[in-house]
Amino acid sequence: MKTVSIDIGSTWTKGALFEVGDRDLQLLKRTVSPTTVQHLADGFFQVLNALLDDDNAIERIRSGEITLNYSSSAKGGLAVAALGLVPSITLESARVAAYSAGAKITQVFAYRMNRSDIRALEDNPPDILLFAGGTDGGHFDTICHNASLLAASKLDCSIVYAGNRAVQDEVTDLLGQKDLVVVENVLPALDQQNPDPAREAMRSIFLSRIVKGKGLDEIIAATGSEPVPTPYAVYEFTRHIQEHVPGWHDFMLLDMGGATTDVYSSHDQCPPPGAVQRGLPEPLIKRTVEGDLGMRVSAEAASETGEALIAEHLAHDPAQIAAFHEYVEKVTAEPDYLPQDSQGKRFDTLLAGACAAYACERHAGRSTQVYTLEGTVDVQTGRDLTSVKKVIGSGGWLANSKEFDVGNWIRERKVDSKGKTVLLPSTVEYYRDEQYLFPLLANVARNYPEAAAFTGVALLAQS
Amino acid sequence: MQETIVIGVIGSDCHAVGNKILENVFARAGFNVINLGVMVSQDEYIDAAIETNAQAILISSIYGHGEIDCIGMRDRCTERGLDGIPLFVGGNLVIGKREFKDVEVIFKGMGFDRVFGPDVDLQHVVDCLHLDIAAYRREHQAVEAAA
Ligand code: B12
Repeated sequence: MKTVSIDIGSTWTKGALFEVGDRDLQLLKRTVSPTTVQHLADGFFQVLNALLDDDNAIERIRSGEITLNYSSSAKGGLAVAALGLVPSITLESARVAAYSAGAKITQVFAYRMNRSDIRALEDNPPDILLFAGGTDGGHFDTICHNASLLAASKLDCSIVYAGNRAVQDEVTDLLGQKDLVVVENVLPALDQQNPDPAREAMRSIFLSRIVKGKGLDEIIAATGSEPVPTPYAVYEFTRHIQEHVPGWHDFMLLDMGGATTDVYSSHDQCPPPGAVQRGLPEPLIKRTVEGDLGMRVSAEAASETGEALIAEHLAHDPAQIAAFHEYVEKVTAEPDYLPQDSQGKRFDTLLAGACAAYACERHAGRSTQVYTLEGTVDVQTGRDLTSVKKVIGSGGWLANSKEFDVGNWIRERKVDSKGKTVLLPSTVEYYRDEQYLFPLLANVARNYPEAAAFTGVALLAQS
Repeated sequence: MQETIVIGVIGSDCHAVGNKILENVFARAGFNVINLGVMVSQDEYIDAAIETNAQAILISSIYGHGEIDCIGMRDRCTERGLDGIPLFVGGNLVIGKREFKDVEVIFKGMGFDRVFGPDVDLQHVVDCLHLDIAAYRREHQAVEAAA
């Protein structure tokens, strides 16, 4: 049995053909072609035909002789705006749900919206507005206020309401004219996160409505197969690895691209004895994405975010700082640029280090020591990854960088800018997705989860 | 209709036993109890009360630093939209031997509606909750009607 996987990225459309074995996959062929932004189907079929080398490619897929799975992050991926009540509570739950659906979050709102918030949404409409707020039976007047403002707005994106169940009817009445889907609350009770119904709603809206706007519907019509957002596939792949591969229950996965850095982690949270856990409960699999950390399109932003760390590394030779910024300007303007000399390579390494360090820092939780008369107590918030050892690096740059070890950079952010301890792994076993196959294997995992998970781990290079 | 209340032990206080007893007693008395446990900050009570639409916040302080930990709680509630929410405080509120009357004056001055010592009869607290929540609701409705 053969299976095809294609990932339509913002600049490249990549594909691979695998032979499916009992417990693993054999890579038979791979190819890459520029993404045809005007018409995504063109690049897609170019890749498909190159892989199958057959005029009847589509027939063989339609008949089920060859399976096909594909993902897309082209044309901005899945853009979600998140609306919650309290920033650290329902807005945070909305973020968790949106990230797990493979979205990038373009705007966030909390408490009562005002006219300028509405205008900001109208001016920069997301694909989906995820509307949360209030636990079940909890707060409702702000929710109804926000629903009325949205109802009167010109916003015409899909809206997923995943807030207080008690006012589902009021929200439905107010927003009935809009493209509204009502699902279970993302936070039915303070100690219970429930991202899956909202996640499923976002996935199905992606398929039924957004795919068309991006021109992917033509591919569905021709192949009979449906796409998912690329990070959605990788999120599920993380779950499959955790489920199927022995020794891989706890790990982090870093996917660093030109525009964003995504961090995924699989970990069962269990506060160590003596520590007090505060804040929302943590899910088993979590994804975060940083739009200001990337190697090319976001290099400028990354150099600002990572300023402290970068300055520290260049401190021995201040003249390098200006040269670094020149380099950053160059690669931002020329996203395809590859460093030609050792200085360029060093600067790329520094950029990558900053992206890795800050993206992991934001993904992880914090611990602070509180002094009491009895002694000190550790108060933890967020995700405690200190006991995690395995870290995978994926994405074009990391895949190709033998000398780079994410562990060395994580160590530099042991303490955040507020003096709090960052709960990142203390010892890292670093693994590299040497052939950069993770996004493609993630697609195959939709049909063959176990084989794809095993193959993904087997192909990793350990440094 | 079930009333929601938020409880927890404030500051860096880890005394957990009384908190469990309060949760149990108030739940049996028919309240929906949101228990934040120990070492709770002022904002955590307020965040939780906003999201759950709670009708009262009950703060415990057992380790003697209640006075410092509770400063500004009422203003913070008002600032964050919980105008007039019933605020109760109880436990071993201060260090040393001070008359309860004096302690009560201090905490009432900080804007707490009710102040209780460690030996309070919890049934009495339940009665106070019903009274104060009913008054809070009436006031709220009046404000909404005026608006
Ligand atoms: C067990 C205990 C500990 C344990 C706690 C274990 C745990 N995780 O729970 C440990 C050893 C860790 C501990 C540490 C400390 N403790 Co201690 N501890 C006690 C002890 C012996 C019992 C507390 C208890 O569980 N009581 C039983 C419960 C049911 O009662 P309760 O907590 O008072 O709660 C009831 C009432 O107060 C009331 N209530 C409480 N909150 C509220 C709120 C409202 C709104 C209402 C209406 C009522 C109400 O209702 C509750 C249920 O009935 C008391 C002494 C005592 N006999 O009380 C000292 C005591 C509380 N501890 C004290 C102190 C000083 C400390 C320390 C600061 C240092 C020390 N000396 O050990 C540290 C502080 C640590 C910290 N960061 O919090 C002092 C407090 C002095 C003060 N406030 O003036 C006490 C009174 C001992 C003493 N006489 O010196 N302690």
